[in-house]
Amino acid sequence: MPDAAAAARRVSSWRQFKAILRKDIVMELRTKEMLTSMSLYALLTLVVYQIALSQSGSGFDIRLIAAGLVWLAFVFTSMLGLNRSLVHEKDQGCLEALLLSPVDRPVIFFAKSIGNLIFLLIVEIITVPIFAVAFMSGRPIAGPFWMIVLSGLVGSIGIAGVGTFLATMAVNARGGSFILSVLFIPLMYPALLAAVAGTSAAVLGGPGYVDMFWRSVGMGAGIDAIMLLAVYGLYEFIVSA
Amino acid sequence: MELRVDKKRLTFAAVIAGAVLTTVGFVLAFLVAPPVLADTTLASGGGAMIGGELIANPVLFSQKIFYFHVPVAITSFIIFFFTALYGLRFLMTKDKAFDTKARIATEVTLVFVVLTMITGDLWTRFEWGKWWVWEPRLTTYFIMMMLVIVYFVLRASIEDEERRAVYAAAFGILAFLDAPLSFLITRLVPSGNHPVVFKVGGGLDAIQVTTSVVALLGMLCLGYAIYQMRFREERAKERIEALKASLED
Repeated sequence: MPDAAAAARRVSSWRQFKAILRKDIVMELRTKEMLTSMSLYALLTLVVYQIALSQSGSGFDIRLIAAGLVWLAFVFTSMLGLNRSLVHEKDQGCLEALLLSPVDRPVIFFAKSIGNLIFLLIVEIITVPIFAVAFMSGRPIAGPFWMIVLSGLVGSIGIAGVGTFLATMAVNARGGSFILSVLFIPLMYPALLAAVAGTSAAVLGGPGYVDMFWRSVGMGAGIDAIMLLAVYGLYEFIVSA
Repeated sequence: MELRVDKKRLTFAAVIAGAVLTTVGFVLAFLVAPPVLADTTLASGGGAMIGGELIANPVLFSQKIFYFHVPVAITSFIIFFFTALYGLRFLMTKDKAFDTKARIATEVTLVFVVLTMITGDLWTRFEWGKWWVWEPRLTTYFIMMMLVIVYFVLRASIEDEERRAVYAAAFGILAFLDAPLSFLITRLVPSGNHPVVFKVGGGLDAIQVTTSVVALLGMLCLGYAIYQMRFREERAKERIEALKASLED
């Protein structure tokens, strides 16, 4: 039965994907290292915001900058998490083993990206309510809640995808986390601007905010698509270099 | 061999043409091209509104800087395209020469980007009264400058030659994709309060267009010449290194 034998030898991409993703999640559940450090970092960012806003007075409407502040916290925590997720792979020789095994490179990329996306989303789910309670009390958001979720998702997908790619480069460079941040911020600029604009429209409301929201989210999704396609095409070169 | 001689001649010709054309462009800009008059219908007492700012002098002498600024900016975009193009060629062929070409192209881009930033800033200072405004073109340009600088930071942080070339090529391609996206997003998702951009293309007459085109051609020639000369220098360096290595063996 040559077909069955071939099928047994060739594990499907989907199963490879699941195996890598499972490995990341199991490792995280055992060590809980990434989630704790990322959440803690996000909380400390909120403390820094408190310091920054401490003299702004009670008349200051935090909603004007709320979306920006939240995204800023996500950017910093995601850089921390992205760096850690690839440093683990490198330190323990896991990346090399993955490259030696007959796994398609794009599968590695997608599995790592989805893993990072899941961790980022968990941190976001922890951070956003705390931010809302700590800074937004008495100032309700104008748009429906799903708008916040949707713009958050679009922005996070971009961060996780491009970030995983850049983190793979950064672990092989001197001064890894520094390199990641200087590569990440200018390259993510358009995606982050779209994300902040989308979330801000939902928070602030005002005339025509639905239109503004869809335009921002649409742009964000388009930018995600272009960047992810490019990164997907280039990942094979990066990871084998 | 013949091709190389041709390239040398071409570079020389480009230097001469660049020098002549940019000089002619300058002379035209200052002596011939009439200034774009500010829209005085918006004026309140002799001044004019440009970019949401009240300008005291309706005849704007400082706009001459545009005959330098715009050609330099366009040239920087064109050269940056070659960073991405050579990066792509390198990834396809793994030929080291393309890596060198991409690096030199990025160096030349940086020169032109910095020139654009300086001239652009002079403009904003004199016409908008501010050194810096987060306005779509300026923001995009600032991001592009960061990307170009970061390209070299990335290169400097990787020791392995092969890996450095691959990473730099990949980053160059991404950075080139990023620049138009930044422009698009700052345009289509406007922030609350940014000034309306002064439109250069609005009411230019023939002589103004000619001046711009002459200056642009000059800048392109200069860009090409700088690129070629830097590339020849780098190739000579690489050949010497290769010779040294073969002597040691």
